[in-house]
Amino acid sequence: MVLNKKIRQFFLPSLTPAFLVRALAVALAAYLFFGYLCTPLLIHGQSMEPAYRNGGFNFCWRGRYLFSNPKRYEVVAVRFAGEKVMLLKRVVALEGEWVEFRDGKLFVNGREIDEPYVRYPCHWNLPPRRVERDCVYVVGDNRNMAIENHLLGQVSIRRIAGVPLW
Amino acid sequence: MVKFRSIIIGVLVVAVGIGMVLYLSPSEEKKIKKQFRLLAEWVSKEPGETPVTMAHKAKSIGTLFDQTCEFKIPAYSFSGSYTPEEISGYATQGRLSFSQLDLRFYDLQIVFPEKEIARVTFTARLTGKLAVGESVNEAHEVESILKKIEKRWLFSQFEAVEVLKK
Repeated sequence: MVLNKKIRQFFLPSLTPAFLVRALAVALAAYLFFGYLCTPLLIHGQSMEPAYRNGGFNFCWRGRYLFSNPKRYEVVAVRFAGEKVMLLKRVVALEGEWVEFRDGKLFVNGREIDEPYVRYPCHWNLPPRRVERDCVYVVGDNRNMAIENHLLGQVSIRRIAGVPLW
Repeated sequence: MVKFRSIIIGVLVVAVGIGMVLYLSPSEEKKIKKQFRLLAEWVSKEPGETPVTMAHKAKSIGTLFDQTCEFKIPAYSFSGSYTPEEISGYATQGRLSFSQLDLRFYDLQIVFPEKEIARVTFTARLTGKLAVGESVNEAHEVESILKKIEKRWLFSQFEAVEVLKK
């Protein structure tokens, strides 16, 4: 009987001031956490395969770069005008570095970079270019298409919204 | 308890009232957002669209533009000033190459630099399938200028913002 009352109270709670305050606090915390700190991501596109599959779900952890800058190999979410649509890309070169592709191989400052996350064949060629101040160079892991059809390039650090949670 | 419930009901009634007033009063921002909603609706294409719908949409698209509208969209090699009739023609041609097309605008940031002029920065996302079967999934940051002419906000400029610089 007591258990029944407890179950009933759990699913159909009385509209008391204490309950409303608790419900409001939970709603506000969830809104702030999932709206600003750890925003849900639905992945569309194959640009980061096989690490991140088309149709996958993740969260964008926004606190990652509050006190630091992106590092090489990190996967980052790049925002457009707002944060409803973002690009998921991998940082391959940092400010001041020279980046180029030679027959699909990535070179930074003239040295070949090992990229174990690239699994599909790639034959890109891109002449050397220097990453500008306050920028990083980002590329997708899936380079199994013409370089003209892939979104890559240097992006301002200010546009980096965070990192995927996993 | 009865008093508390009365307060809650009173607060809800006031909130609904405020919501209704805000919803029903068409602010300038709302009018601008409506133009974007119409543009997205008329550019988008459902599979198996009838010729009548196609003609209606093509004609309607032109009504959203100023006497001349300037485009600077290097990704599509589309630059220059065009009349509403020319824009309708290009839109018809472009839509014909798709079997299905979905255009959506996100994160509209509207500012009014001068009276009756609005600058809108937004993310445009284009998804669909070309008539030849290839899938399209693109996102671009765009800046647009709208002018208020005879109580209507009309598009007078579109310029793509370079987020990733190759």
